[in-house]
Amino acid sequence: MTYLLNRLFSIVLTLFLISIITFVVTNILPGDVATMIMGTQSNPEALAGLRESLGLNDPWIVQYGHWIGGILTGDWGHSLVFKEPIGLLLVQKIKASSLIVVMSMTIALVCAVPLGVWAAVHRDRWQDTVSSGTALLGVSLPDFFWGIMLILLFARGLGWLPSSGFTDPAVDFGAAIAHAFLPSLALGLGLMAHLTRMTRSTMAGILGQEFIRVGRAKGLSERSVVWRYALANAIGPVLTVAGLQVGYLFGSIIVVETLFNYTGMGWLTYQGLLNRDVPLIQSTVFVIAAVVMFANFVVDLLYLLIDPRIRLG
Amino acid sequence: MKKFRTSKGLIGIALVGAVLLIAILAPLFIGADLATKMNMAARLRPPSADFLLGTDQLGRSLLYRVMLGARTSLTIAGAAVITSIVLGLPLGIISGYFGGHLDNVLMRLVDTLLSFPALLLALAISAMLGPNFQNTIIAIGIAFTPFLARIVRGEALRVAQMPYVEAARSSGTNDFHMILRHILPNILPAVIVQGTISLAFAILAEAGLSFLGLGTQPPQSSWGLMIQASRDYLDVAPWTALVPGAAVALTVLGLNMFGDVLRDALDPRTK
Repeated sequence: MTYLLNRLFSIVLTLFLISIITFVVTNILPGDVATMIMGTQSNPEALAGLRESLGLNDPWIVQYGHWIGGILTGDWGHSLVFKEPIGLLLVQKIKASSLIVVMSMTIALVCAVPLGVWAAVHRDRWQDTVSSGTALLGVSLPDFFWGIMLILLFARGLGWLPSSGFTDPAVDFGAAIAHAFLPSLALGLGLMAHLTRMTRSTMAGILGQEFIRVGRAKGLSERSVVWRYALANAIGPVLTVAGLQVGYLFGSIIVVETLFNYTGMGWLTYQGLLNRDVPLIQSTVFVIAAVVMFANFVVDLLYLLIDPRIRLG
Repeated sequence: MKKFRTSKGLIGIALVGAVLLIAILAPLFIGADLATKMNMAARLRPPSADFLLGTDQLGRSLLYRVMLGARTSLTIAGAAVITSIVLGLPLGIISGYFGGHLDNVLMRLVDTLLSFPALLLALAISAMLGPNFQNTIIAIGIAFTPFLARIVRGEALRVAQMPYVEAARSSGTNDFHMILRHILPNILPAVIVQGTISLAFAILAEAGLSFLGLGTQPPQSSWGLMIQASRDYLDVAPWTALVPGAAVALTVLGLNMFGDVLRDALDPRTK
């Protein structure tokens, strides 16, 4: 209970710090929101008036107060580009992105764990070279390059899948999956490479330990030693790394969603950045950082559940 | 240094060395006009004897452009990593060496910064400062600082507990002297390893930023910009994407291989 209260306090504190960092980063720009709304050719008096009414002449601390107050009361302001309430935009786009986040994470884990285990079991033999080499190549290519290759192969070459666009799963589930598939694969491949490397090194360490030798000595089958005993001990660190990769995923999502014209959170963030839509940038950056923090928190809790050796004192 | 004599280490060193040589030498031998002058009669030519790697949508030789892009990518990535070391090293050392409340406050800040995906942070800073060559360096450098600070802090904490540090302290060494003479030299290997790995990520980040139009700006040649330009011509000229893509891949692959071997050789925990 004390642990949970501590964590809760820590989450609130971190959210507060995230909001401050977001505010600072988005306020270092030389231009200002008023000029962005009215354009650079506008009448200086009108500009000054707008600046006053937007509160841009207030001290930073007051401006921050307005912004954070709005966030807490559910008034996230209006996007300058989309002319829509930001709260509404965020809800739509988060829904769209969660589909590809879940799909890419699933693709990555389903492929990475067996590949990593296979490499660790056959350490320093050809299987290891193949698996580790593929993983190394995977972490060395940018996600958008994977994306372009996938478009060339599956969309242009074979014509199996659409290369751009988004469909709401509630409207047409099949089409939604088809649109989400290539972006998820582009994200998943890079992620898979990271996780394969992690699984391999963790498993290699565990397979050298005493209890594995005991297991073999008492006549357990190799399959049971590897997949039950060793993997049970390796899965914790692997899941932790997978959780930490959520941050990496939310960075890559900006590039990949833009490439595939998949209108999710990453695409929205990019539109904000490209058009210097400051209210939109503030909200998207804040939300993404908060999501990453929560993902790490959830991983910590999962770790408690799957690893009985960790007891809270 | 026997550990470098593995095939992985040798391939890594060869790749990194080749890219470095191209980055240094190419601008000396290839006139800038060869890579920027348009030649509309030779648009989107496939690789041939005249154009070894083909031409882009403006008839410029991809071979020349990709070679000149090496300098842009390596300069930005190198300068960004140095920026992150300049910012992160003092932060991490102070935090790890002095500990206490200062450590708590600094690391809370660093952990919060780690909640921001590095690419997002770099994109946001670049967009806010206005994308150009110099701001791309600043943006990537700041975005990578928290990672470096975290690693330096851990190393400083480890080294500060070593018997020789205690011995130096009991013989009256002051903090400044201690950090300079005893802490810094012993955390340097970890910083070098992390720097090499960061370099690989920085090249990917620069390519990503330029690809999105928030990094290097035309007419400068950059691998990310070349991949972006290729998007409209994928059907007719896939090589315009493959050439810069392969350049990024080979460079990052080389750095990763080199980094892996360097870590095995320098990391005290794997000795």
